[in-house]
Amino acid sequence: MTWASLVFSFVKVLVVVLFLLNMAAITVWLDRRQSAMLQDRVGPNRAVVYLPSGIVRALLTLPAVLIAGALAVPMWAAAPGLEIPRMTQGVELAIFVAWSGLLLLSSHVRRNGAENAFDEAVGSIEPRAYFYRGLVAHVVAAVLVQLVPTSLNAPGGVAWGTGIAGSIAAGAVLMTALYASAKVPDGKVGIRLAGTLHAVADAIKLIWKEDLRPKNADKLLYAIAPLLAMFPALVTFAVIPMGSTLCFQDIDKNHALSFVDLANIAGVVDRTGVCAVGQIPVSLAVADLNVGLLYVFAIAGTGIIGAALAGWASNNKWALLGGLRATSQMVSYEVAMGLSITGLLMIVGSVHMQQIVDWQGRHAWGIFVQPVAFFLFLAALVAETKRVPFDQPEGESEIIAGYFLEYSGMKFGLFFLGEYAEFVFSSALLVTLFFGGYHLPFLDPDGVRVAIGNTTFYELKLTHLAVSLIHLGVFFGKTIIVTWLQVFIRWTLPRFRYDQLMKLGWTKLLPAALVNILVTGMIILGIEAASPGVQSGLQALCDVTQALVAVGGVLALVAIITGLLEPAKHKQVAVSSTARYALGAGGVKATKMGA
Amino acid sequence: MTVSQTSWTKPAPRSPVPTKVIARPNRTPQVQAYVPEWLKGTAVTMRHFFENTKERMLGQKRDPVLENFEGGITTIEYPEERRPYPDRFRGLHRLTMRDDGSPRCVACLCCSTACPAQCIHIEPAEYAEGDERRGYERYPSVFVIDELRCVFCGFCVEACPCDAIRMDTGMHPAAYDSRDQFIYDSPILLSMVGRDGSRKTENARHEPGDSTHPGVTRKHEAH
Repeated sequence: MTWASLVFSFVKVLVVVLFLLNMAAITVWLDRRQSAMLQDRVGPNRAVVYLPSGIVRALLTLPAVLIAGALAVPMWAAAPGLEIPRMTQGVELAIFVAWSGLLLLSSHVRRNGAENAFDEAVGSIEPRAYFYRGLVAHVVAAVLVQLVPTSLNAPGGVAWGTGIAGSIAAGAVLMTALYASAKVPDGKVGIRLAGTLHAVADAIKLIWKEDLRPKNADKLLYAIAPLLAMFPALVTFAVIPMGSTLCFQDIDKNHALSFVDLANIAGVVDRTGVCAVGQIPVSLAVADLNVGLLYVFAIAGTGIIGAALAGWASNNKWALLGGLRATSQMVSYEVAMGLSITGLLMIVGSVHMQQIVDWQGRHAWGIFVQPVAFFLFLAALVAETKRVPFDQPEGESEIIAGYFLEYSGMKFGLFFLGEYAEFVFSSALLVTLFFGGYHLPFLDPDGVRVAIGNTTFYELKLTHLAVSLIHLGVFFGKTIIVTWLQVFIRWTLPRFRYDQLMKLGWTKLLPAALVNILVTGMIILGIEAASPGVQSGLQALCDVTQALVAVGGVLALVAIITGLLEPAKHKQVAVSSTARYALGAGGVKATKMGA
Repeated sequence: MTVSQTSWTKPAPRSPVPTKVIARPNRTPQVQAYVPEWLKGTAVTMRHFFENTKERMLGQKRDPVLENFEGGITTIEYPEERRPYPDRFRGLHRLTMRDDGSPRCVACLCCSTACPAQCIHIEPAEYAEGDERRGYERYPSVFVIDELRCVFCGFCVEACPCDAIRMDTGMHPAAYDSRDQFIYDSPILLSMVGRDGSRKTENARHEPGDSTHPGVTRKHEAH
């Protein structure tokens, strides 16, 4: 182990811990905010930090200048010729910045009123029109760039098309940021970040709150229980691969990662994603264990100890009941959890997380090959993290708050944080096992390749660095989306009764998981015995599922954007005297202080 | 005489209590499978979530007072949004001013007498020797209202003969840190403006010596 690999591992640990802790805090906030938004309330969105307008303007412009520089300079430097793909990227980016910037401006104008004729013109257009026109512009630009004759690249022709495209994109970014910073009002400006600052406020509050200990509590166990509850959530994340394996060039020929190598990432890798001979592969999981999933189950099992100890050490009968409930529930559901995933492991033939993800990238996402196992695993996972509808260990109506009833201050905060960190980890595990991990459909390690069976429709080569960055973003993005989706479970389902919970675990999930293993085994044997024609047909079917995911994802994105931009229709009804007064004063929104 | 067979200690047998048989819930396979119903429920919650999110996207949130009859978010986000107070809302007090900037109050103690909460404290004082108003009216050297004790009944305003105290500021007391911050003295009371932004009132004040002054003046002294 060299110093460079040690530093790299430290960075990975830091990323994991920061992601888990921040996401846990934000998920606590998201939980409340989402519950409010679906019950016709606003929820916590009012925590605010006041900054001088100069700093806000700088925060808007400086990153934009950096981004613009990063866009324009390499485009000019690396563009002695006319590179159509890079030119396409520049133009498409410029179009994206243009329409999204105009959309933001129109939203601002609709909220705060127009300041000049340009604002008025932007605000008068229906918001959805920007999105539609932007989409059309994306397509038209993609076609037009292909039509640019490559003869322009000839000596004496226009040899700087790529540079111009980069400059257009940089200009669009700069223009948007400058116009936005001009809109910042003078004086102190309240920053709310859509309410996420509440997570910070909550953390500060919990740290400074008084830490009470019941008189007859077991001092030592009472103190270490929150740490034990927090520990497995952070540690299990170690085996989750956050991105594809990175390949570094071995510059100093010492066959190990050194700082010189760290700066020299391989330019391209081949389609299998395996590093070439002489290159140094570096996994993006903190610990690249070949027992991957077994490690997860082993460590997650220790999570019981925290809850059980907390229940015992508090010297409170409700806490003890909560601890017992947590223990028996987690022990029961671990069985179903392990068995439900066995089918997938039989198909992949490995418990190594990276290999599970790679298999899904090459074939189909886990949810398509094991749909039954997905629902069984999801139920077991929700029970394992003690969330609604399986949150009997902390059932308020029966045992007040369960095992952490006596805890206050940051010890309570640790339980809470640990629970939500576990929640975020469970999303990451779902993503890794069932939603293709860091894979995007049709994104191979060497670039985009849209193909079904042996027919290739579109191909675009990308560098190793670009693909790796996309993979990293995709993994964290998917984890956040799945976390968001999982929060909906809480606000949809009521809590089970305790006997129903046990019955579900032992008499429904467990047999269903066993049947799933049996059926999966028979299908695997059937496929192995089938003719090569059938097997290539299955591969084509896998590609179809990837296409389904890609098309479905794009359609969902378009539907969400157009749906959210749809104008809302309101009808004024002034029937009460209050409403009539409000009408006279121009309504609640127009009323200023003192009126 | 026939003796009843049933002992008086034992109540007579009643007719059986009519019971209503409640049918078991309809447990179709679809309900038992749980997943379809769960997905349906999630669709409902998601619909509510996206509808409300949509209303907050482009500043097109419903007016919670005027447009809240069809659902949607009804939260009034104070202080950016406020439910407007009616015109005759009795808010914090203010002392109105004369044209020269002195309080209109003549320290007649009508308001403090009328006050059911006894929250007004006035110490009347005579104008200085040679002042034209000396001998006609006094002025409040101390005028203090305890806004924490005030019940906002408006009797002081009704009692005032000079239109010197008003409750038309349209403001409610803020949430201060300590009780003494709720004690408003005359500089604070004089600095507060009415809803029209004025520190005076529409009702004209006729000083002694004005041609419009209806009452006795010093010139009547001889009579």
